Amino acid sequence: MDRRKFLTLSAVAVMGLTLAPAFKPAFGATKLEEEIQKRLGVQLSQVKEVAEIKLTAPTIAESGANVPITVESTIPIEQVERLYIFVDKNPIPWVADVSLTPMNGQVFFSTRIKMGETSNVRAILKLKDGSYVMATKEVKVTAGGCG
Amino acid sequence: MNLSRREFITYSSIALSSLAFDPYSFAKRPVSLERLMEFKPYGNLTLVFTSDIHGHLKSMYFAEPMNLLAPESLRGTPGYLAGMDFLRYYNIKPGSVEAYMGSCVSFIKLAKMYGMTGGAPQLATVIKTIVNERGKDKCLVLDGGDTWATSGIALKTEGLALVDWLNYVGYEYMVAHWDVTIGKEKFLDIVKNKLKAKFISYNITEEPFGDLVFPPYDVVEKNGVKIGIIGSSFPFTPLANPRKFTEGWSFGVRPEELQRYVKELKDQHKVDLVILLSHDGLPLDIALMKIVKGIDIVISGHTHDITPVPVKVGDTLIISPGSHGKFVGRMDLDVRNGKIQGYRFKLIPVLSDVVPEDKGAKEIVKKWYEPYEKEFNTVIGTARTMLYKRDTVYSTWDRLIGEALADYYHGVDAVMSLDVGTSPGYRWGTTVLPGQKITIEHVYDVLGLTYPEVFIMKRKGRDLLILWEDVADNVFNPNPLYQQGGDMSRIYGVEYTLKINAKQGERIRDVKIKGKPLELDKEYLVAVYGGPPPIGVEPEKKNIRDIVIEYIRKKKDVVVETKPNVKVLDHPYNTNCYWR
Repeated sequence: MDRRKFLTLSAVAVMGLTLAPAFKPAFGATKLEEEIQKRLGVQLSQVKEVAEIKLTAPTIAESGANVPITVESTIPIEQVERLYIFVDKNPIPWVADVSLTPMNGQVFFSTRIKMGETSNVRAILKLKDGSYVMATKEVKVTAGGCG
Repeated sequence: MNLSRREFITYSSIALSSLAFDPYSFAKRPVSLERLMEFKPYGNLTLVFTSDIHGHLKSMYFAEPMNLLAPESLRGTPGYLAGMDFLRYYNIKPGSVEAYMGSCVSFIKLAKMYGMTGGAPQLATVIKTIVNERGKDKCLVLDGGDTWATSGIALKTEGLALVDWLNYVGYEYMVAHWDVTIGKEKFLDIVKNKLKAKFISYNITEEPFGDLVFPPYDVVEKNGVKIGIIGSSFPFTPLANPRKFTEGWSFGVRPEELQRYVKELKDQHKVDLVILLSHDGLPLDIALMKIVKGIDIVISGHTHDITPVPVKVGDTLIISPGSHGKFVGRMDLDVRNGKIQGYRFKLIPVLSDVVPEDKGAKEIVKKWYEPYEKEFNTVIGTARTMLYKRDTVYSTWDRLIGEALADYYHGVDAVMSLDVGTSPGYRWGTTVLPGQKITIEHVYDVLGLTYPEVFIMKRKGRDLLILWEDVADNVFNPNPLYQQGGDMSRIYGVEYTLKINAKQGERIRDVKIKGKPLELDKEYLVAVYGGPPPIGVEPEKKNIRDIVIEYIRKKKDVVVETKPNVKVLDHPYNTNCYWR
């Protein structure tokens, strides 16, 4: 089923990393950085982690094919322009971007995402003043274990 | 921790003053029931609780692990204290009842001296004695789950024998883990129609909309104290066990929701005391209580840890009553003005030969066992090596199971022999002492799965490695919120070196399969059981119990290698604790 495919997929992905550590930076962080540069026009290092964004996601996903996440923020909606979601280690790290208007009332977005392997999930808000802020959470994707 | 720890020390030193240095001198003066149950009543409320009985209605031996390997940051903390470390941490004398119950030290000698532990009639006596002495209106009787599955009698009666006993004793609240593996429909039938205790869990919701399946908490008044009790079932049930048992349900660790329920209990229901009845496991609960505030007491099941004194996290007291019916937890509380003013705590050791059997409970056990006694009592061999299950990476039971799998598949040395046999590292099972007869019930005790199918398949070296690394991370992740609370898979036919503190993907090294270095692209023949069923692989005609029973019958005298197949690089690893 999905899950099996996913494990295989993640297996392939992980092996790529373990077997060829020399390539790791090229396929790991840089890919995310490239993607962020491309979509946000800034570097990842310019995006500040702030406590005003709450990213809720499971510590260990029940299925990598279907990971529920929720982004909430106390930053007034009037100051927010856009929400981006990234998964560092997905083949394509960009997952979604959502434009927000004051009609939304508040920053609240809940969805389900696909994850190929254990990775950080990032929720980034673009503010009206042009700056970016984010929340990060690690979600583990596992083949399971034994209770 | 200081106060209660001192109490414990005083208590154990009094008890042990007669012991001197020779543990055998104790045998002549067996421990009395009064001494086991000794407890000065205190305050206005008593919690009486068990957890992880694992389907055991009869007395048994159960040895605590020789090793509880921990990542560096957690080393030496409750949840990772085995053997002498456990005894030193809690100031328990080797040779004492407490040492026998809570550690591996000299287990074989002490088991002969103190005898079996647990048993439903004995547990009933302890619980009923406390409740009668204190009065029902002052007591809250709780069970932390892993109760009606994973044993012969649980399996044969689909949990009902245990449910009957729970109802008889008068349990009031429960949570679950393996209990769901009897099947979702049967589980729901028990919870809704048969079990008198209330089933509560804040962390089981319907997919995809998140509606609660069970009440997340309940409010109950005892002796004028208003108690809010929240339930937490095992957060990783859908991963640790086949998904079909929890199809459509989502679990998980949910700190925000938990915090919300705590607030609801305090603000809306004005409770005096908040209890979390949890099957999270001790390390996870310790980590969780650093995030969630306002819970007074956590009764923590799942990891089978024994906490002779409560673990304190902020103002929260966390207690874990061991497993397999070895202890009944008792906590007397003085709750006034919405606060715990003081408490007394003890894990009451249930020595089966010392605690008399409760008649009613004995009848229940007899009734349910009757049709199966003959099968269960059938002797299939004799243990010449102690058969134990618990340890972080290796056990003699699992080694024996691995041998049985290899033997089933063309024999150990055949041309087309099995390369790898995997046995899951769950923490339940039984112990068979050297010289003890092995019965069919013992095999059920260790392999009482509702999904005993064996799968044999080909897997590439690289895929095996990834899988084992994955399991290793579930065991050794330095953040308990990312651990699943089980032990490492036991891998027969394989030798490897383990570096606990390496990152995922680098923990398992120098892997040798049947003596030769693992080749990433080579296909190996692998036998597995006890996990999610592999897709597209037909199960073998014989299940794991039949395979093991047949192998033991063939061997008759069961000698098992005690030297582990794993070399641990960055943690002491004990291999002789039981035999000391």
